[in-house]
Amino acid sequence: MEKNNPIGSLTLAALLFCLLTGCASQAAKKDPSLQLQAPSPHTASTLAGDDEALTAEEEALFEEDEDVWSDEDEAQEVVQIADPIEPFNRAMFTFNDKLYTWVLRPVTLGYRTVAPEPVRIGVSNFFTNLTTPIRFANCILQGKGEAATVEISKLIFNSTFGLLGFIDLFEDFPEMQPDKEDFGQTLGQWGAGDGFYIVWPILGSSSLRDTVGLAGDSLLHPLTYMDNTAAALAIRGYERINALSFRIEDIDAAKKAAFDPYEAARNFYIQLRRSKINK
Amino acid sequence: MAPRNWALIIWAIFLIAGQATTALATRPMETLQGPFDQIISILNDPSYKAGALRAEQRDKIWEIARPIFNFKEISRRAIGRPWDNFSPQEKKQFSDVFSLFLGSTYIDKLQGKFNNEQIDFDKELVKGSKALVRTRLRRKNIEIPIDYRMHNVDGKWKIYDILLENGVSLVKNYRVQFTSILKEKTPAQLIEDLEKKLAEQNKSNSGSK
Repeated sequence: MEKNNPIGSLTLAALLFCLLTGCASQAAKKDPSLQLQAPSPHTASTLAGDDEALTAEEEALFEEDEDVWSDEDEAQEVVQIADPIEPFNRAMFTFNDKLYTWVLRPVTLGYRTVAPEPVRIGVSNFFTNLTTPIRFANCILQGKGEAATVEISKLIFNSTFGLLGFIDLFEDFPEMQPDKEDFGQTLGQWGAGDGFYIVWPILGSSSLRDTVGLAGDSLLHPLTYMDNTAAALAIRGYERINALSFRIEDIDAAKKAAFDPYEAARNFYIQLRRSKINK
Repeated sequence: MAPRNWALIIWAIFLIAGQATTALATRPMETLQGPFDQIISILNDPSYKAGALRAEQRDKIWEIARPIFNFKEISRRAIGRPWDNFSPQEKKQFSDVFSLFLGSTYIDKLQGKFNNEQIDFDKELVKGSKALVRTRLRRKNIEIPIDYRMHNVDGKWKIYDILLENGVSLVKNYRVQFTSILKEKTPAQLIEDLEKKLAEQNKSNSGSK
């Protein structure tokens, strides 16, 4: 059934794409990092010499790096997060790790043998489409108008021509893949600190702020309003397994690469959240 | 035979001389593009699919990857301030074993599953002797932004840190871990731990196939 639609949907996608690049290209003007084509190194060197104009975000990536070796002692401290409930967190971390090794990983590997990649990608697209309200609302709350427009347009086109969202008509257009906003990031952008680190069973790394964020986002998750709670949980579980099916190797490699897995995971989480909030 | 050898030697001299003179002019992004392409073609080369050739494939990748990293700087930054407490010998030992560890871990990952992942080179930012090369690793439905922090050492651009998702520094992540380990252990003990871990890894790698 996927076979008879592509041409029609592709032309539509192209049309819509042209319509929407209006706002996307505006975004690109503000932030050169959004530019798509790989710049030719030669023109870069002849045109702009060494120091091209850097955006604030890019500048920050350099500055943050230099801090590390300045002589102030404080600067030596790497990005960290308070961890007053460390014993609890470590216990949960161990629990989650066992859960992953003994249950989630084997289940996911099994799932992968029965569900071919295109199916899993379709499922992943479906869930991404389903949770558009969360990302849309947070784009609005953070004043990211262009991204909000992209989210809502994708919802409309993917839900219909993309067969209930199983097909992402825009997968080949990077500017149609905005950063995934959530309420934790919104709160962060509004100035809320991390609070402290929390490792939830099953859900994994979080912080006080991001836990509030998760609760807020779940209000916009369609599954929250499903009458049958057990079924809703099962569907969420399936969503997790499906998402995990693309990441098993990454997780395994990250585990192998770590010396102190707890510290590594905590630091990874906090660095990731900081960088997302700053975007 | 002799004339042919001479031709080879002259060819080699030209090659080396050529590289030396172009090195200064090479842009950070270019420094990465060549080796990355080579590595990808080795990963996609079907002749290595046989389990027995895995080690050979790994060595080949390592040979190409090694020169584009500055492992001494990576080690220094991964340790942070306590680096000053390392003796010169410990510094060398640490950076040797840490580089092997990183190589083994990440090449193993590449070899494990590489299904037509694509690397898009987006942008290069240069600020004095430092640069940031922004790339995206693209799988079918996942995109992972990977930025390479590079600096210019004697006319050659080398990687000293890798940022995932536009801001997660791998070197910083290691620094947090090493800092916590060095609170309880001496540099020598840390090096010993690393060597043990590397040996374990090599064992499981050669045993897995």
